Amino acid sequence: MEPLSSFFAVSVILLGIGIYGLTTKRNAIRILFSVELIYNAANLNIIAFARLRNPPIVTGQVLVLFTIALAAMEAAVGLSIIILISRLNAEIDLSKLSKLKG
Amino acid sequence: MTDLLFLAFAAVTIGAAILAIEARDLVYGAAALGIAFLGVAGLFFLLDAAYVGWFQIAVYIGAVVVLILFTVMLVGPKMGETPLGLKRVSLLAAILVSLLLGMTGALANATAFPGQDSCGSGCDLYLLSTSLLKNYGVQLEFMSLVMAAAVIGALVLSKTDRGQ
Amino acid sequence: MFADLIKLSFKELFVPENSDAFFFIMAPTTGLVIGAALVGLIPFAPGIQIANIEVGLPAFLAIITLSPSLVLLAGWSANSKFPFIGGLRALFQQTAYEIPLWLSALGVIMMAGTLNLAQIVAAQSTGWFIIPQALGAFIFLVTSVAEMERLPFDLPEAESEIMMGWQAEYTGVLFLAAQGPGFVKLYAFSALFTTIYLGGFLGPSFLPPLFWMLLKTLVIIVLIMLLRSTFPRVRLDQLLRAGWTTLLTLAIVNIGITYLLVVGLPTF
Repeated sequence: MEPLSSFFAVSVILLGIGIYGLTTKRNAIRILFSVELIYNAANLNIIAFARLRNPPIVTGQVLVLFTIALAAMEAAVGLSIIILISRLNAEIDLSKLSKLKG
Repeated sequence: MTDLLFLAFAAVTIGAAILAIEARDLVYGAAALGIAFLGVAGLFFLLDAAYVGWFQIAVYIGAVVVLILFTVMLVGPKMGETPLGLKRVSLLAAILVSLLLGMTGALANATAFPGQDSCGSGCDLYLLSTSLLKNYGVQLEFMSLVMAAAVIGALVLSKTDRGQ
Repeated sequence: MFADLIKLSFKELFVPENSDAFFFIMAPTTGLVIGAALVGLIPFAPGIQIANIEVGLPAFLAIITLSPSLVLLAGWSANSKFPFIGGLRALFQQTAYEIPLWLSALGVIMMAGTLNLAQIVAAQSTGWFIIPQALGAFIFLVTSVAEMERLPFDLPEAESEIMMGWQAEYTGVLFLAAQGPGFVKLYAFSALFTTIYLGGFLGPSFLPPLFWMLLKTLVIIVLIMLLRSTFPRVRLDQLLRAGWTTLLTLAIVNIGITYLLVVGLPTF
């Protein structure tokens, strides 16, 4: 079993990639990619901590079951919003849409 | 053996994640995201969380990636992005990441997490299910309400006025 | 049939211009890999099971959920209208029928008390699950036929209507790769149905368990093939409506019945 720091490092790197994508990309769907990556980083972290604890507990897996479901729901609603916006505006460039004009 | 598996899964996950946000074509990005999810599922399997791993595959790759692909094909291809002049924001992101990574070093010495090789009751499927239903039953019911709200919300948002 | 196989393998590998070659080739190939993984999970006999994992049944169903996205990618990558529409229809159909599939399997899990496929077979030694789970077995059969895109749920590949749907652009070796997953899924689903409803490899001991398993699976395969010639093709909107409303309700009713059987009867 790898030490906790290895799993934590992977989770942090994923988090970093997600934050980078979130802040520097303009396409709304790509931002959704980044958000999903951040969700996965957090889930990995929770499972790793719960498993590599002394003694291991099952609560981590319970929590991650909930967060996986929540993330899927949030992706579904977010994608509906993106479809709706694209129908109204014909583009999904968030830096232009954030002005809330029109 | 587990060392090699861990390195493989970690490399696949991180590589696919970078591909996902850097790929020019969104469909390739979505496929790369699916592979990143597969890598994370593999890491779950390494951590003795088999049930959660299969649900990660079923929900994320089986549903979220499908939704994303479907949306990308409906909304239309956006080829590439002109680079933004957000140097300050990416710098902020980089600083945040390096701060977090620095904490990893501190965590490496944490003695509260020695890590056991046998999982015992921490990964027992029976315990997972009874704990989910007994200790977290109320939360489970709330989750179903939230799911119903999300489904109704998505349906309402994507409704088109067909005109009677 | 083998002659066909060899002939098709030697035909030119034709990827249409303007199409997305990577996904065009990758999607059906991954489908074959998925099919192989499915067969590996089934217990064919007390010792013969390639992967005896503790969560066998959800694993099988989770691998099935990978199939709709592959079909969508295959249909989209050919970059022509008919395959894409066929791919979308196949996507809708397969996604809609996943939930009744999971829920009908839930009835079996409630009765067996385990997620391990080998133990589900062992739990049927007192009686095959198809008898108390008649409704669940029916739903499972219908949804798996829909998942496999076989007649009467054949609309995405309707040969007379939209020119084989999402597989229209596949020739040569890739034709095999596109048809292959369909057949492998047929074997895999029939084997799973046998495992969870018909007692898998259990049978009188004058014949080896493997024989019983293969015999029962063969019966189910023949049954599914007979369905092809019995029923007319179902229209897509009828299909989706049936999946989301009728079958879903029936599956939940089945769960209620199973609950009464498992919990209620012993307490009376």
